Amino acid sequence: MVIEPLAHFHGGLVLRHHKQNSCEQPLQNAGIPDELIIALRSNKGHSAEPVVKTGEQVFKGQVIAYPAHPYGAVFHAPTSGTIKDIRTHPTAGPDASPTNCIIIQTDGNDQWLSKDNADSPQSRHDIINTIREAGIIGLGGAGFPTHIKYDHQSLTQATTLIINGAECEPYISCDERLMLDEPEAIIRGTQWLMKAAEADHGIIAIEDNIGGVKSQLDQHINALGISNIGVTRVPTIYPTGGEKQLIKVLTGKEVPSGQTPLSLGIIMQNVATAKAVCDAIEHRRPLLERVVTVTGDSVSKPGNYTALIGTPFSHLLKLAGCRDDIDKLVVGGPMMGYAMPHDQIGVEKTTNCLLALPATATKPEIPAMPCIRCGDCVKVCPQELLPQQLLWYINGNDQNNDLEKAREHHVFDCIECGACSWVCPSHIRLVDFYRYAKSELTYLDIKRAKAQHAKARHEERDARIARIKAERQAKRRQKTARLTDKKTAQQEISAVLARIKQQTADKTDD
Amino acid sequence: MTDALNTSSAPHIPSRISVQQVMLWVCLTLLPATLAHVYYFGFGILVHWCIAVVSALVFEWWCLGWRKQPVRLFITDLSAVVTAWLFVLCISPVAPWYVSVVGMFFAIVVAKHLYGGLGNNIFNPAMVGFAVILIAFPQSMSLWLPPGGLMAEHSIHFSLTELFSWIFAGHPQDAVDAVTAATPLTAIQTGLQQNYSLSEIVSLPVFGEMGGLGWEWIANWLFIGGAILLYKRIITWHVPAAVLMTTIAAATPFYLFNNDLFMSPQQHVFSGGIMLAAFFIATDPTSGCSSFKGKIIFGAGVAILTVLIRNFGSYPDGVAFAILLMNMAAPLIDRITIPDPYGKKGNTNATD
Repeated sequence: MVIEPLAHFHGGLVLRHHKQNSCEQPLQNAGIPDELIIALRSNKGHSAEPVVKTGEQVFKGQVIAYPAHPYGAVFHAPTSGTIKDIRTHPTAGPDASPTNCIIIQTDGNDQWLSKDNADSPQSRHDIINTIREAGIIGLGGAGFPTHIKYDHQSLTQATTLIINGAECEPYISCDERLMLDEPEAIIRGTQWLMKAAEADHGIIAIEDNIGGVKSQLDQHINALGISNIGVTRVPTIYPTGGEKQLIKVLTGKEVPSGQTPLSLGIIMQNVATAKAVCDAIEHRRPLLERVVTVTGDSVSKPGNYTALIGTPFSHLLKLAGCRDDIDKLVVGGPMMGYAMPHDQIGVEKTTNCLLALPATATKPEIPAMPCIRCGDCVKVCPQELLPQQLLWYINGNDQNNDLEKAREHHVFDCIECGACSWVCPSHIRLVDFYRYAKSELTYLDIKRAKAQHAKARHEERDARIARIKAERQAKRRQKTARLTDKKTAQQEISAVLARIKQQTADKTDD
Repeated sequence: MTDALNTSSAPHIPSRISVQQVMLWVCLTLLPATLAHVYYFGFGILVHWCIAVVSALVFEWWCLGWRKQPVRLFITDLSAVVTAWLFVLCISPVAPWYVSVVGMFFAIVVAKHLYGGLGNNIFNPAMVGFAVILIAFPQSMSLWLPPGGLMAEHSIHFSLTELFSWIFAGHPQDAVDAVTAATPLTAIQTGLQQNYSLSEIVSLPVFGEMGGLGWEWIANWLFIGGAILLYKRIITWHVPAAVLMTTIAAATPFYLFNNDLFMSPQQHVFSGGIMLAAFFIATDPTSGCSSFKGKIIFGAGVAILTVLIRNFGSYPDGVAFAILLMNMAAPLIDRITIPDPYGKKGNTNATD
């Protein structure tokens, strides 16, 4: 099956990709470090609750935490050992934000709990369930739990599965290496996902600068006799691996703002996710490890390492021969990654790359100049926003009002790819401003919703009091109206007198 | 490893270009046209270049100190040099020295720093400076040298000392009549006022094959400089294309209607400031429009206003006023041309 790219997305950048060094060597096993630091967090901070206690012995594949939120994920012990501690620890997120972590002292035996040898699931429901139980989340970076996409899917609509192998950030090569070394597992994983999605065809999208991968995948697809999976090469323009951009390139359609690709009948998964799904279903092996690219000008042996979840960065950097001239340790790529303050942080399920850069290779710390409205950011923005206009509103003095202007200028459509920050001749870190605006606006929305709720409640209470008051008044008025008639009044009075007399009589009887 | 790592935010790799480099490229691409100016009109422009650049930097330095801004960072960004350079390309090479100083005062102090400095000016500073002296010193501005060409036989017959005494001590009246000439656009205007037909006027020695003699070559070099800026992606094609094509489109009907009264489109393009405006002034991002649609509207507006002012106004060239008028309209144009982002095609919900 051959599918050609249909469109281009707006803007984008041609960057030096720096991938050759790390991609030359086949996958290497990073081994078992002394300690694993497992951050109980996936997808924007949805955390999991530990189900083990400090000092407890755990075995490979044993569940150690269950999700506390529907968008969270299950965590397993990546190897055997004892739980050393459960505490907050810095993680590979923005600002190395600390979160609850399970720290495992490994014993080096790598002993499985008990390998489940049940048959591979066959029904759609069973496949989705297996994926959930295996703790699989999007391994491309966003970390969205994989099973949710299928849970939310409407089966009345024809679905296309896209496997995203367009690793558009410079330096990162873990997906490329995985496609070279494990093509069959990826293709089989794709088939399982297609079964789960009841998709009639699947597309594996790769960038056109990695020709070897296409022939490798094609060869295996042909060998397996598969006719409904095609490999498509897309132009190497950053950020073509962005979900929305890749959909535009492959289908010519745009995902409506604020919606997921499901609205177009598309499910997108990363190649590493497809491989993890294959492992989970065919080998009953939960997500215990992932491929991490360790590269950058500060490491002497750049490469791709299969690392257990929780492997400390220091362990991987040591394997790759990291030198002392390191100035920045970036988790993820150079365009969107986060710089870490130190290396005592564990690999997460979404950690695709460790980038160790010396001061000479990083962006120099130049003070930001004012925006000169040159419009370079407008030219490159893949979401067709007006970044300089957004900056103007976010940077303004009248805070609340101007932030609302940023919303009107579609700040929530920003995918934070960093293209604008990279081209900015004034060296303004634009994405930081958009992140700030988004979180501030979200906070304001919550505050506003709360205030509105309180207001509604208050108004309801006022209305209730008024209603009761009115009812009472009406009753009283009715009574008064009755008493204006002299005859009735006389009757009432005598009735009351009779009642009092009766009561007094009852009392004396007692 | 300790907590000593650099944690500044993404992007983590060096950028493409800086403001300073942008300004440097603008300067470099103005150089050929400036040299052509020297070739045709003598060293006057270099003298004014020095006066304007020095006074621009002094005003810049003074304003930055006064506004408590980092002086070194901003004075080295070369934006004041670009302003001065654009300004001297507009003025007469034999204007008295204070013309440049006054022009730079209004450009740097009033148009730039009083509005908030780099990136915050509503009006193009060079054009504000030029418009002020155009109104304040009309005499000096209408005084030009005949285009000679340094090597040509009828080259300008006065020495550097004479030039200096002109610029710094004032114009001796008899010398004025003997040496000076009008700019081609002024010649056309005064000629038409004296009821000459255009075909008669353009046979005057100040005219060349396409526009004014000398001027057409300056325009060509500006075009080449602009093409380099386009190639370096410092400017986009939208503004220059809109300015040049609209100039031709707007001038053609008038010319066809009466070619004795109205200049040909070619004259319009190759005389006066249109080429400079198309590539170097209307492309000023700060005072122009930011969306692609907006840039096209902005450029077209500049061209239409320039043609109208040249054809009907009392000033021979209207580029400066056209630019300033469009600068005023730019925020409005930007508001009505907000592009629909990805996934929101056809339902813009921005309300302002």
